Amino acid sequence: MEGQAGKILRINLSDGGIAKEEISEEMRAKFLGGRGFAAKILWDEVRGVEPLSEENKIIFSTGPLTGLPLPSSGKMVIASKSPLTGGYGDGNIGTMAALHLRRAGYDVLIVEGKSEAPCYIAIHDEEVRIIDAGDLWGRTTFESQDKLEAEHGRNIGVLTIGPAGENMVRFANVISQRGRAGGRPGMGAVMGSKNLKAVVVKGTGKIPAFDEQRLREMGKAAYEEIKGKENYDFWIRQGTLMVFEWCNENSCLPTYNFREGAFRFSKRLDGYALEKLKVDRKGCPLCNMQCGNIIKDVEGENTELDYENVGMLGPNLGMDDLAKVGVLNRMADEYGLDTISLGSCLGFLMEASEKGLIDARIKWGDLEGCKKAIENLVKKRGLGEIIFEGVRKASERVGGESRGWAMHVKGLEISAYNCHACPGMALSFGTSPIGAHHKDAWVISWEVSTDRFSYSKEKVEKVVELQRLRGGLFESMTTCRLPWIEVDFGIHWYPKFLQAATGKEMSQEEIFDLGDRIYALIRSYWVRENRGWTREMDYPPLRWFEEPLNQGDLKGQRLDRAQYDEMLSRYYGIRGWDENGIPLKQALDGLGLGDVVGVLGEHG
Amino acid sequence: MAEFRFLGYLAEIYGKKRVEISLERPGKLRDILGVEFPEGRSIVLINGRVGNFNGVIRDGDKVVIMPVISGG
Repeated sequence: MEGQAGKILRINLSDGGIAKEEISEEMRAKFLGGRGFAAKILWDEVRGVEPLSEENKIIFSTGPLTGLPLPSSGKMVIASKSPLTGGYGDGNIGTMAALHLRRAGYDVLIVEGKSEAPCYIAIHDEEVRIIDAGDLWGRTTFESQDKLEAEHGRNIGVLTIGPAGENMVRFANVISQRGRAGGRPGMGAVMGSKNLKAVVVKGTGKIPAFDEQRLREMGKAAYEEIKGKENYDFWIRQGTLMVFEWCNENSCLPTYNFREGAFRFSKRLDGYALEKLKVDRKGCPLCNMQCGNIIKDVEGENTELDYENVGMLGPNLGMDDLAKVGVLNRMADEYGLDTISLGSCLGFLMEASEKGLIDARIKWGDLEGCKKAIENLVKKRGLGEIIFEGVRKASERVGGESRGWAMHVKGLEISAYNCHACPGMALSFGTSPIGAHHKDAWVISWEVSTDRFSYSKEKVEKVVELQRLRGGLFESMTTCRLPWIEVDFGIHWYPKFLQAATGKEMSQEEIFDLGDRIYALIRSYWVRENRGWTREMDYPPLRWFEEPLNQGDLKGQRLDRAQYDEMLSRYYGIRGWDENGIPLKQALDGLGLGDVVGVLGEHG
Repeated sequence: MAEFRFLGYLAEIYGKKRVEISLERPGKLRDILGVEFPEGRSIVLINGRVGNFNGVIRDGDKVVIMPVISGG
C-alpha cells in the first residue's frame, strides 16, 4: 500500500536497542493505523505487566491520513497499558510530531524498557539518539518545549511530559506545542516511569500517498467546504465552548461534582464570556477550524481553553470566573495533567471536604485552595496523596459513601457531561474503550432531538454507530473528527481520502467491521488484563442512579438501573459479547480475531 | 405571550437570543418566526418536548430552538 510505507521504529531504553520493522499488509488491512495499530501491538506485546514497570510499552501511532494535506490531519494516537485504569489506554493529540514522524519514514514509534537516568529521544530521519535529559527534568512542558526548540531548531515536533508525568501522577498526560494535550489515561506517567522526558522528531522526507494529485485537489476543496459551512464563523469565535450554553440549557453541564446539570453562573463561563476575553486562538497542524481559544487568566498569563477544561474546572468546582478557570487550566498544561481528571479529582476533594470526610478544607470555587492542591498533587503530598491515582483510588482512601460520587468508569474520570437525564450518553461512557470518555460516542444531541429519557434499542444502535465511526475510523485514519461533527463537513469525503492515500477502497461495511474489530480487541485486552471482569465495569457511578437532580428544568431526573441494564445487554448483543461484556468466539472469528479466542479461554 | 429562545448560531440567524410574541391565535412555528433555519441541524423543544417547525404554538408556550451539536 503506497500510502503507508512507513515502518515501526522500536526503541528500547533499557539497552539502547533501536530497530526498524516493516508493518505487514495484513496488519494494515485489519487495523488501518492509529488506534488500530496500538491496540494490536498492546494485545500482542504487553500482557500481564504492571503499567508503570519497565515491561510496559508506550506507542505513538499515526494513520494513513496523518500529515497529508487534508483537514485537521495533524494527529497521532498515544497508547499504553494505563496506570490509571489497568486496561487499554489511549488518547489522540494534535502535534507537529505526527507529521515529522511520518516524514521521517515511520508510522509508529514503540518505546519500551526504562532508562537509568532521565533521557529524551531525538529522531532525525534515519538517525535516532537517546540523549541525557538531566537539564530538562523538573521543568514544565512549556519550558521543555522552549529548551528543545533552542537545541534542535523550531522546525521539529515535540512530545513532552511535565513534573506530573515525571512523578507518575496517574492522570499525567503528554503535551505538545505548549497546550496541545493527549493521552489522558496516564500516558505521561508511563513516559515518566521510563525516565523518558520527551520525544523530538524531525523528518525531512515526503509522506507517501497513492494518488498525490487527487489528494491535493480534494484537500483544497475540503478546506473550502469547511470554511463555507453555516456555523463556521460562530465556531471560529467560540470553538467547543459553544457547547457550554447548550449543556446548561439541557441540564447536562457537570456541576458541583456532577450533582447538578445546570450552573447559576453559567453566563460567566460560556462561549459569549470567552468572546469578551479572547486574545488569540491556536490549533493543531493542518487545521482550518482551530479550537484552542486563548484568554488572559487572572494572573495575566495566556491560557488555552476549550469546553472540556472549562466544564470540569468551572461549574464542576463551583468556579464562576473564566479567568480563574484559566489559571487552573494553565497549571494543568504546564505540569502535564489531564484537565478532565483534574477537575473531577478537585471536585471530589471539595465534596469530601464539605461532608467532613477529610480533615483539610477546600471549598467550592476556592481558587487558591485549588492551586495549592495542584502543587501538592504534582509532588504527591498533602491532598495530592489522596487524588494522585484518580478518583477511584481516592474514594478507596476516603471511604464512607464516597464511592457513589467518585465520578469515573473503569477508573477513568468522566468527561464534562452530566448524565442524570441522558441514558444513551451514560451507555456511551459505560462502554467507552478507555473508561469514561466522550470521544467515541457523543450522543446527547441525538437523545435530546428524539426521545431523551428512553432506553430504546435505537439509542443503543446510535451509540454503536458513533463508536464505529468516531472511535474506530477517525482514531485509526488518524485524523480529527471535529470537521465532521462540529461544522457538518461531509463524512462521505473520508473513504475518498483513504482511497487516494492508500489506493484501497473501503466500503461502509468494511469501515464498520474495522471499528468492531478494534472494539472487540480492546475489550478482549481489558478482560485479559483484569481478572474477575464483570459487567459492573460498564456501569456509570451510583450518583446518577441514586441521587436525582435537585435544580433546573429536569429536577428529579435520574437514571434507572434496571433499564440501563437492559440497554447494556442489548449493546452486548449487537457486539456479539456475552452477558458480562466478554467477546464471544463467533464474534471474534467473524472479525478475523481467531487468535484472540484461545487467549480468552472459556470466555472466547 | 409565547417565549422563544435561540441557542448558538441560530440566535444569529434570528437576530436575537430571546423574544416574546403575543399570539392572538395558534400558529405554526415557522410562520410565526418567519425566518429560515437549517431544519436538519436544529432541535425544537416546545414546552420541554421535542417538536418541529410545523408545531403549533399557542400563547403561553415556551419554545427553545437549538443547533444539533456533537460534543467535543
